[in-house]
Amino acid sequence: MTGRERGVLALLVTMLTAVGGSGCFDESEERAFASPAHADSAAMSVDSSEQARRRALEPGALGTVNAAPVSGWTGPGGEPFEVAIRTRDPLSAQARRFGTITLRVSLRARAPDLGQYPCTSCHLGRRMTLVDTRIADAHENVRPIHPGQTGATCATCHAPDNVELLALRSGERATLDHTYRLCAQCHFAQAESWAGGAHGKRLDGWQGRRVVMGCADCHDPHAPALEPRIPFRAPRIQRTGGREP
Amino acid sequence: MNSGTPRVARPGDDGTLLRKRMDRRRALHVLLGGAAAGAQAVSACTSSSAATEAEREARVLQWQEYIKRNYRFMTDEERGETIDRLERLTKLRTGADVSIQTTAAQPGVVFGYAFNISRCKGFRSCVEACINENNLDRRAATQYIRIFEMKNGEVDLDHADATFEHEVPAEGHFYLGTQCFQCANPPCVKVCPVGATWQEPDGITVIDYDWCIGCRYCMAACPYWARRFNWSAPDVPAEEVNPVQHYLGNRARKQGVVEKCTFCIHRTRQGRLPACAEACPTGARVFGNLLDPDSEIRWVLANKRIFRLKEDLRTEPRFWYFTD
Repeated sequence: MTGRERGVLALLVTMLTAVGGSGCFDESEERAFASPAHADSAAMSVDSSEQARRRALEPGALGTVNAAPVSGWTGPGGEPFEVAIRTRDPLSAQARRFGTITLRVSLRARAPDLGQYPCTSCHLGRRMTLVDTRIADAHENVRPIHPGQTGATCATCHAPDNVELLALRSGERATLDHTYRLCAQCHFAQAESWAGGAHGKRLDGWQGRRVVMGCADCHDPHAPALEPRIPFRAPRIQRTGGREP
Repeated sequence: MNSGTPRVARPGDDGTLLRKRMDRRRALHVLLGGAAAGAQAVSACTSSSAATEAEREARVLQWQEYIKRNYRFMTDEERGETIDRLERLTKLRTGADVSIQTTAAQPGVVFGYAFNISRCKGFRSCVEACINENNLDRRAATQYIRIFEMKNGEVDLDHADATFEHEVPAEGHFYLGTQCFQCANPPCVKVCPVGATWQEPDGITVIDYDWCIGCRYCMAACPYWARRFNWSAPDVPAEEVNPVQHYLGNRARKQGVVEKCTFCIHRTRQGRLPACAEACPTGARVFGNLLDPDSEIRWVLANKRIFRLKEDLRTEPRFWYFTD
């Protein structure tokens, strides 16, 4: 059995089981979708500077290398989320494979960063009808390598009646913030690593609340491979001793 | 020298310079009639009339810095005093306002690091972040992190390329980064003749830059080439200095002392990730508390194929490599 066949088989099993066990995921996604993810940042702005300073010094405070934005990196309501996960234990595999684990992390909200979001800013009523005149290069940035190579179409991932939602094999819908639910249907090994902490960037500290980036924060869903680039300049001194590599 | 033992001043101790039990630094204090007065006297002797007030103050502070003790044996009061002096000296010399922490290790925490060699693409974003975060010498291009490019199928650091400039990732190659592994059994600490480097309770091996004599035994002892020597005083442009500093970490180093990666001690002791882990765009770097069973690092160690460099040396590095 080749790797691809195994993947397809697992996908089918996932579909069957997920239909039966749709209680795997709670309703927080829908709530997160209904309420703007920037609610936290609005609350932040009314903080006094002293409060903001104290919050920035807390162990759980968000930070980037140059101490940049504190707001905008919020999880959906700060809620933990759940994801289906495989286990390597063959005996309990059947029982636990499609169970859930609760991650002690927050998911970075993605929708606010999307350039053409919400779709209704151009499309009327979330359907593929343009507001005004047709914009020829509206989706020029979409390079459908990923669905193209697998013989899939837009509707493989996007809900046909609402492109702002992702259609899962189970018939459920996921928001664009929760791409891991869609991606994990095929890339379950990566999803397992991601849930455990071996794949995907952690943004908050090592202590307290963790914020994790979702799949599409790094991978363009339409062309998932990272672009090659010229690295940061090389060290001028490679060796400091005769035997040192 | 036996300066290590904290001592309680006893009546009759003061001024008895010939008594063996008084350490040399304290004797110097007494000899100078108190640090400040002594330094004033010295500066008065040596300074020209053209010396400005700031230069004179810096000279006084510098003299007081010369006669302080090893960081490990300072009282809290002494630590506060040296922090004040160092911050003031930086202000006088570079105009920069820095804040130097003395944050101690958190109880129940031992730091561990894991590096995913299947994920690293050789972008060196970690190197860039490390330079900015740790105030590394820009002129000598000091770098704590090395990213080695190797052909798939071989782990041969002797023939690896750490100076690649081409577009990455290169076809048929993988990338392995090294830095200080914060060994649990560190050979560098054993060889230090003056006790200027030691292992902290959270596993970070640190250096007291004001106690280091620059003999570089530790560099010879380290099997992982993790330590760097300052052949000249580090040159960091004033506007690029990271003002968030730790006494044992990224504060200004001097000429002739050794420095090394401290897992960004000024960040990690505040609960944040090291700059390299936060900067990595691929998520190849995993950092956490080895004593916390729910941490990411523990998940990696339990679920991934892992190895360490030169395990046969029994240095017990707290830095693991893993593959997907």
